[in-house]
Amino acid sequence: MKKLFRSGEPFIWLTGGALGGSLIMILGLILLIAVNGLGFFWPSDVALLTLADGSKAMGQIWNREAIPTPGEAERSVEHRLQIHVGNRELYGQDFRWIDEARIERREWPEQTVLLERREWGSFYGFIREVRTEGRAVAQGSSDEAWNAMLPLLDRARALWNEVRALEKGPMGEIYRRQERNRLAVRRVRLRHGSEEEIQRLLKESEAWGDKYRRVSEEIGRLRSEMNRSAVILETAQGETKEIPLSMIVRAIRPNALGVLGKCRVYAQRLWEFASGDPRESNTEGGIFPAIFGTVMMVFIMTLAVVPLGVLAALYLREYAKQGLLVRIVRIAVNNLAGVPSIVFGVFGLGFFIYLIGGSIDRLFFPEALPTPTYGTGGILWASLTLALLTVPVVIVATEEGLAAVPAELRQGSLALGATKFETLRRIVLPSATPGILTGMILAMARAAGEVAPLMITGVVKLAPTLPVDGTFPYLHLERKFMHLGFHIYDVGFQSPNVEAARPMVYATTLLLLVIVVGLNLAAIGLRNRLRRKYHSTAF
Amino acid sequence: MTEASISRRWRRRTDLLARWVVRAGGMAIIASVLGIFVFILIEVAPLFRRARAASAPEVPVPPTFLLAGVDETEELAFGISAPGRVEFIPLTEREAPAATELPGFSGRTPTCVFRPLREEEIDVGTADGRLVTASVRFRVGFGEATEDWRSSRTITPETSEPTVLQLDPQEKPLQAVARQSDSRGLVAAAITEDKRLVYLCVLEKKTLMGGVKRTEHRADLTGELPAAPTALTIDGSLENIYVGTAAGHVVHFDIRDLDAPRKVGFDTVRAAGSTPVTAMALLIGDQSLVVGEESGALSVWFQVDDAASSTGKALRRIREFPSHPAAVTAIAPSARDKGFATGDRAGRVRVHHSTSGRTLLSLEGDGSAVTQLVMTPRATGLLALHESGRISRWRIDNPHPEITLQTLFGKVWYEGYNEPAYSWQSGGGTDDFEPKFSLTPLIFGTLKGTVYALLIAVPIAILAAIYTAQFMHPDLRNLIKPTIEVMAALPSVVLGFLAGLWLAPAMERYMPAVLLMLIGIPASTLLALGAWLLLPSRLRGRSRGRLEIVLLMPVLVLAGAACFALGGPLERALFGGDFQQWWYETTGLTYDQRNAVVVGIAMGFAVIPIIFTISEDALSNVPRHLVSGSLALGATRWQTAVRVVLPTASPGIFSAIMIGFGRVVGETMIVLMATGNTPIMEWNLFNGFRTLSANIAVEIPEAPHGGTLYRILFLGALLLFAATFLVNTAAEMVRMRMRARYARL
Repeated sequence: MKKLFRSGEPFIWLTGGALGGSLIMILGLILLIAVNGLGFFWPSDVALLTLADGSKAMGQIWNREAIPTPGEAERSVEHRLQIHVGNRELYGQDFRWIDEARIERREWPEQTVLLERREWGSFYGFIREVRTEGRAVAQGSSDEAWNAMLPLLDRARALWNEVRALEKGPMGEIYRRQERNRLAVRRVRLRHGSEEEIQRLLKESEAWGDKYRRVSEEIGRLRSEMNRSAVILETAQGETKEIPLSMIVRAIRPNALGVLGKCRVYAQRLWEFASGDPRESNTEGGIFPAIFGTVMMVFIMTLAVVPLGVLAALYLREYAKQGLLVRIVRIAVNNLAGVPSIVFGVFGLGFFIYLIGGSIDRLFFPEALPTPTYGTGGILWASLTLALLTVPVVIVATEEGLAAVPAELRQGSLALGATKFETLRRIVLPSATPGILTGMILAMARAAGEVAPLMITGVVKLAPTLPVDGTFPYLHLERKFMHLGFHIYDVGFQSPNVEAARPMVYATTLLLLVIVVGLNLAAIGLRNRLRRKYHSTAF
Repeated sequence: MTEASISRRWRRRTDLLARWVVRAGGMAIIASVLGIFVFILIEVAPLFRRARAASAPEVPVPPTFLLAGVDETEELAFGISAPGRVEFIPLTEREAPAATELPGFSGRTPTCVFRPLREEEIDVGTADGRLVTASVRFRVGFGEATEDWRSSRTITPETSEPTVLQLDPQEKPLQAVARQSDSRGLVAAAITEDKRLVYLCVLEKKTLMGGVKRTEHRADLTGELPAAPTALTIDGSLENIYVGTAAGHVVHFDIRDLDAPRKVGFDTVRAAGSTPVTAMALLIGDQSLVVGEESGALSVWFQVDDAASSTGKALRRIREFPSHPAAVTAIAPSARDKGFATGDRAGRVRVHHSTSGRTLLSLEGDGSAVTQLVMTPRATGLLALHESGRISRWRIDNPHPEITLQTLFGKVWYEGYNEPAYSWQSGGGTDDFEPKFSLTPLIFGTLKGTVYALLIAVPIAILAAIYTAQFMHPDLRNLIKPTIEVMAALPSVVLGFLAGLWLAPAMERYMPAVLLMLIGIPASTLLALGAWLLLPSRLRGRSRGRLEIVLLMPVLVLAGAACFALGGPLERALFGGDFQQWWYETTGLTYDQRNAVVVGIAMGFAVIPIIFTISEDALSNVPRHLVSGSLALGATRWQTAVRVVLPTASPGIFSAIMIGFGRVVGETMIVLMATGNTPIMEWNLFNGFRTLSANIAVEIPEAPHGGTLYRILFLGALLLFAATFLVNTAAEMVRMRMRARYARL
């Protein structure tokens, strides 16, 4: 035994244990996120529980755990179930913990209907009546009632979409026009412009007012038609509730669905998650605005960071006289990558938003003051802040790429009479492209996952409009935006209903993880290609 | 000119142009990137700028004028003059509004004036012992909307019908007066010419019939005083009256029973020798009492806990300010912060700040004694009425009076505290609140988080690096290194979310199991080794560092599961079934769900990859011949690793730890999400803390641009910047020297 310890073999195994532990932690983390994130969309069966006291509860079983009994000498074997009972307006909360010992009977009735609604979360119940225009179309929880409801539901959903399109399109357009006119009037007044100009603008506003009345009439008509049909449901405890069909996003009968049907629902919900707007203060629905905001922000940042980083790297590697000063600058730039991101956020707030943005407002948007236009957080400032944060990454990767280009290539080009610039443009830069791309992808990955600096330079929990839309000038750089990382923080920690929102957060986390890890893998792949290429290049 | 030469010239020009563009552009980018530091520095600098004052032209006043205040726009000063007129004195180029006669004076002479902070009422004491209270209000109107709104602004004073109370039944002239009121009624006290202290309280109670029942209570408190009274003040919550005496006492009366004032106690200003108290005033919030003396000495007092006192509190002298060369005659508190101004008999005026204990400005008047001093409502101006009958004026630029190195980093005795303390509490919702801007708890929190994170990350990362670099098969290494590198890019918000919402509750439930793992996991690797040694040696030899880790992973998973299974019984056996309770009873420390251990694990997780990668690079770049030599001399592979490889690579490992340190120090999201963000200073494993970085994220949305808090948050950012930059630079230097050494070996 002593000999064994002297040989050091146990210590080697300890080091191995450390590595194994790290790997297990990493794999476990990914597994945890993946299982929780992907499981959320699966429409699991709905249980109808009859309790010992005769009362009933219905919902999906989300969790099962041992009942903690503090101070108890015996190991507890009792378990309890976490039931997602929904019906928030009736019960006040989404979840119920029920001790298994109290459950008398478990059933899985096929007629159970699960409604996902636009407000108040999910509803579990049995159909009692389907009615349209005040009279019953079908009654009871039979298939017949279900089948009668489906076409009505489609119609209501179509109408709802129409209303929404009107509100977002023409209505929003009218609001924006009127706001723009109001500001234009102020601008003319501030500059002591002509009275005729003001009159013309006011008349224009009036015309928009007329249009507003017409559109809102149309919306009112659609709304009343939309609210004509409703379904009356009975909960497990016997209460009834009338729900207008227009409030329903999706109706399913999970217990009646086969595996294939469930897969279809799963796909639908996954698609809604990726392409839909958030509902119920971000705890339900989709995260499309956050995906869009993240992509847009990363895109603008890339546009800024790549030219700047490449230019700086070219200067450092190709034009600057190599010496102590350049070495110091290089170290400083490298180390900037290690400066905490919140420091960049603070800088972005002080410099971009207050200094530059404030000046832009005073010069170009005095009519809107004191409401700031550029003098507040927005996607442009957030992107530029992150560009500063990631520029060292691009500089370092580009320099590495430039350094890997064999000297023979340059010398050959110069010897053939090409100028330095031509050599750079035709020979060096193309060979260094993988390096530049690596830097770009690493910068994008860092930017996509960064949250702290964004929190103070323009991310919001719910942005009413996307930074790109159909109104002139189409790209609105001053707008605030949503971001996946901030979405995780906000829904997971600031939301009023954290318990119900948790699966959404896991799903969002999974998406962010896929994006960031994917980008990093791409960067590593490119780097390896770059290395292989120049290892094998021989003259 | 031939085509070829044009083209050549064109080419040369482009080349030159490119050179200049790249040079200028490159330098500009690098300069602007480094300019971040400079910009933050510029934003922080005003914090430490000295206060400045600019003297404005003096204005003459009517005879027997008593200065009462200035309007919000700082354009009109107002006061009272005999025989009972409110006079307005223009401070800018505008016409003085007509003086208003106050009825109720009816020819009596005003002798003293008092004005509660931030109230519209002024109180005037008269020569026949009466108190006249009237409100003076300013209505600001705007004329035609033009670019220059200042010139079109009109300010109209409005004076209310005064109320008159006979404060001194003996109708002697009043020397000093104070009044406060609230919904219950009114309390007034005065010092008469013949050195009596009179007290009057008027209570108003609504009767059932809808009428108001007025009751008056009078008291003569002179008998309670150890010496003749000279100065007095009442606090706005109608709880205390403070009286200064000619023998240098500060006497404290408790008036919570409004109809029966009780003396709580008194203290002398000086231990040796008595010097009369000449001026007294309460700062905003009515907690700090400024006491000025005949000798020119100046001190701030407030109540602290004292078991011996009848109210449980006792008035205590907290700090001293540099002495005036002559007697302090007037004290003017600021309506914005804990600042105040003092004037003396030689006409000098000084501006101080209570929290920082600093005298900010020292101004020369016209040589004649200051009789009254007023700070403008926004604390940007100062008016001193001199005995000579002139008002001297100053504009004051003093944006951050509370900031000194002492208030930022040292212990400060704040109002309501029993002793000096480090405290961070940036806002309390009201202007009365004394902001507490000590960065020490935040720096402490930052270090606490860093220490716990590094305690977890460093051993795991370095051990794993040693294994990967020295004992692992190269094929496997090429697979594992990129895996861990990718993990370095894991967004910290993901780790923070998991730490806060998954790890923290899980740890709270399974804490004993987690503790058990500290022993269980290493023990299981040794067990695995035992099992390994039982395998036929032929099989072991073939593995060459490939099988071990594969074999180890399931063992570790099983060990973890076993720890969880044993956690429950262990908790019952050792901790009485409830770890949190046990911890509290044994150590007296609390257990928070989101605590330092959770943060340590999450942040440790975040830096394991980076420490691992850099250490592994350093270890595997140790020249091969050193390793071969050692092995050839008969050393075992562990001996080679520890005695040869590790010492050679130690600078690299050191720099890896430094870089990990840099990452942890500035980490924001994990700390924000996985701690309670309470700025406390305890090394307790199981409670939270607040770091500099999280502090910025938490507070900056509420920090107005250019304000003190905003600049202090920038200072926090500057500290983080400097710390990480220095540490990273040091690490980089170490690494560069190491590379040079490897090249020589």
